[in-house]
Amino acid sequence: MAGSALRRLMAEYKQLTLNPPEGIIAGPINEENFFEWEALITGPEGTCFEGGVFPAKLIFPPDYPLSPPKMQFTCEMFHPNIYADGRVCISILHAPGDDPMGYESSAERWSPVQSVEKILLSVVSMLAEPNDESGANVDAAKMWREDRAEFNRIAERIVRKTLGIPTP
Amino acid sequence: MINFHSMPVILLDRLPLPSLRAYTIISVVLLSCSVYYAVQVTSDPNWKANATAQTDDDSDAEVPDLEETDIEVDSQNVSMGFQLGEMVTFMIQEPLCIWTLINMAYCCLILLGKFIQKLVFGELRVSEQQHIKDKFWNFVFYKFIFVFGVINVQYMDEVVLWCSWFSVLGFLHLLAQLCKDRFEYLSFSPTTPGWSHIRLLGLLISILILSGLLFLICVAVGFFGGFNTFAFMVAECVQLSVQTLHVILRYALHLYDMRQGSTGTAGGAVGAGAGRVWERRGPLAYYSELVFELAGLLLDLVHHLHMLLWSNIFLSMASLVICMQLRYLCHEIQRRVKKHRNYLWVHNHMEQNYPMATVEELAESSDNCAICWEKMETARKLPCTHLFHNSCLQSWLEQDTSCPTCRMMLNIQSPVAMEASRHIDHNLLAGEGPDNVQNANRRPPNHFFHFDGSRYVSWLPSFSVEVTHTQLFRSNQAQPAQTSQLDAMARQVQQLFPHVALTTVIEDLRVTRSVELTIENVLDGRVVAPPPMFQRDSDPPPQVPEVELITTVATRNEPTSWEDLCAVAEIRDVSESVETSANLGGRFSKSSAERERILQLRKDQLLMAARRRYMEKHRPAEPETSPSETDQKDEMQQDKDDDHIINASPNSSLRQRHIDS
Repeated sequence: MAGSALRRLMAEYKQLTLNPPEGIIAGPINEENFFEWEALITGPEGTCFEGGVFPAKLIFPPDYPLSPPKMQFTCEMFHPNIYADGRVCISILHAPGDDPMGYESSAERWSPVQSVEKILLSVVSMLAEPNDESGANVDAAKMWREDRAEFNRIAERIVRKTLGIPTP
Repeated sequence: MINFHSMPVILLDRLPLPSLRAYTIISVVLLSCSVYYAVQVTSDPNWKANATAQTDDDSDAEVPDLEETDIEVDSQNVSMGFQLGEMVTFMIQEPLCIWTLINMAYCCLILLGKFIQKLVFGELRVSEQQHIKDKFWNFVFYKFIFVFGVINVQYMDEVVLWCSWFSVLGFLHLLAQLCKDRFEYLSFSPTTPGWSHIRLLGLLISILILSGLLFLICVAVGFFGGFNTFAFMVAECVQLSVQTLHVILRYALHLYDMRQGSTGTAGGAVGAGAGRVWERRGPLAYYSELVFELAGLLLDLVHHLHMLLWSNIFLSMASLVICMQLRYLCHEIQRRVKKHRNYLWVHNHMEQNYPMATVEELAESSDNCAICWEKMETARKLPCTHLFHNSCLQSWLEQDTSCPTCRMMLNIQSPVAMEASRHIDHNLLAGEGPDNVQNANRRPPNHFFHFDGSRYVSWLPSFSVEVTHTQLFRSNQAQPAQTSQLDAMARQVQQLFPHVALTTVIEDLRVTRSVELTIENVLDGRVVAPPPMFQRDSDPPPQVPEVELITTVATRNEPTSWEDLCAVAEIRDVSESVETSANLGGRFSKSSAERERILQLRKDQLLMAARRRYMEKHRPAEPETSPSETDQKDEMQQDKDDDHIINASPNSSLRQRHIDS
């Protein structure tokens, strides 16, 4: 029922506006469609993504919160758990039924008590500490393990790009 | 009219067809030509005699000639009405004229559709256009098969009649589809203006009324055409009305929902009453949905069966297509029935095993329902003491069998799963039934999942914790239910002190039996972590608060390079915009336009602040320690502090490694 989903999304939006977590902003791009949000995520301090502001799109299903939303970064990303097209691969965004990787227990999956805020905080942690076992981007996972300096260099470039600062 | 030209023709986009404007002009020209021709012919008093004498091929040559002859209609003194009648009979008899008439009728229908679209829908969205196109071609395909494959029409007149019937029907079908799409879209927005609802509902109701009129036509035709024709036509028409009614009902429920939502937040005694109605609304909505879906599917099934059995050509392409459609329909019905059985099962299971929460329990928890985030007037209690709205819990349990909050597996086996497991193990199932609650209680929760307030990595494997440690103490525990209570209490404490290990908290709770006392103990430092050797591998790793996402960097005054100049300029920008929008934070506007504006401003501010920070951080190196270094030092210091409090957590060591590298 879209009605209850709408009310819940409104409540979440309100909460995220009144008590925003540090460095995170999220809300519907256009209120004509309340089921499509944009989020800005600040790269966590002390990591290679530090300082970057990464835009992402969140698409909610009509039966939210029973099903998880889909999340996709709209900027260029290079990260072991983010697909080349920007889709985020973390277990709390996976519905309890499906298991694309075949290794997550249902406890890590989506549940209606999760929220946009928790998803975004999870993504921040994911940026800080990639899980190179679930390789959504195999190249990135490999580089993260084997050539950290190069990985950091690419991350730095992406951070500059998101901020609109030309790479020196 | 100019708009028509630029806008693509909605229905016939795929074929290289002329624009609607060109089509309209051509149709009008053709019609006027044929009318003129008819007037010319009928102005001759003895045209009837001529018409019989003339052959068809003459009429082709007649049309271009018309343009040259002068207009002398006015001079005729025959009465207008009589001439009109003559003209119409002539046009119907003349094949060329009847085709232009039919063409004009279609043109009018398309123009009417366009008009309705402009009036009710405005610009169509891409997905709506796509749906309409698909539906249109689908309709044309199936009706073609029906007319030539099933009915096997022999005479042109019949074809024309069927075509006109299906045109009207298809037109209404497409409008209904459009209404449905638009309603689904509108239901995605909280701020749809009332008049767009009214227009859409108005259109839906007029479709319903028109389908009623079509029904009357069916009855009339049935008198002459026999039962089969009647049944075929009625099936289509009833289908249309069922679909329309379904959309209207969903619409009404949605509007009711939204209104309820706005009054619900107002609170008070009204809210309490509304909440109770709300609870009853769930099954009502579900059953109406079920009835409409099944009715639609069954009607379609019967209609197709009828077509298959009464079709004139039994083994043909047409019957093959119908068989395929039948197979699909059977599958759909099966799926729907299975879903309904699951619904009933979950419903009964909940009724039998999870009691409604008492008033005290509700008052005690005073939380909102974790699924819909709304206040609970009534609630169901799971064995793990978590409370949810009845309908929220129901819809969740239909797709998953664990508690949404703590992920404790509930002992639900849906009929589908049960059939599967029956083959595997009979003995296990013997215990299934009324004592499900005890089973659920007795079984240790095999999952433990904690998110609340932790603001931490929830996806890392190290954080998905299996609560096998409760088994450790289970033997001492007289009542297993208390274990989950203890868990719940421990989680409350952990929300406040994420750095304290869960087992430690549980240990202390075991002694104090009170959340408040344990919190005091933690604050006074009386709670100590047990030595590492007693910690099981499966224990939750202590949760270290995430390093602050943003540290403030002291602004410096003297710009040293071009980059710094930019940065300083931007700082000014930011501070200005901060001043102009100082009241952005902590406000949630009532108007959607303002909310959108504020959100955009906040985004801009975040981006600019980040840019500024980045510029400052990456200024040319200076003799004293750069801010990033001090940050790192602080961080390491913090990590060390954490290490003192807790036994080396995997995360802090990870971060250490990271910093080292």
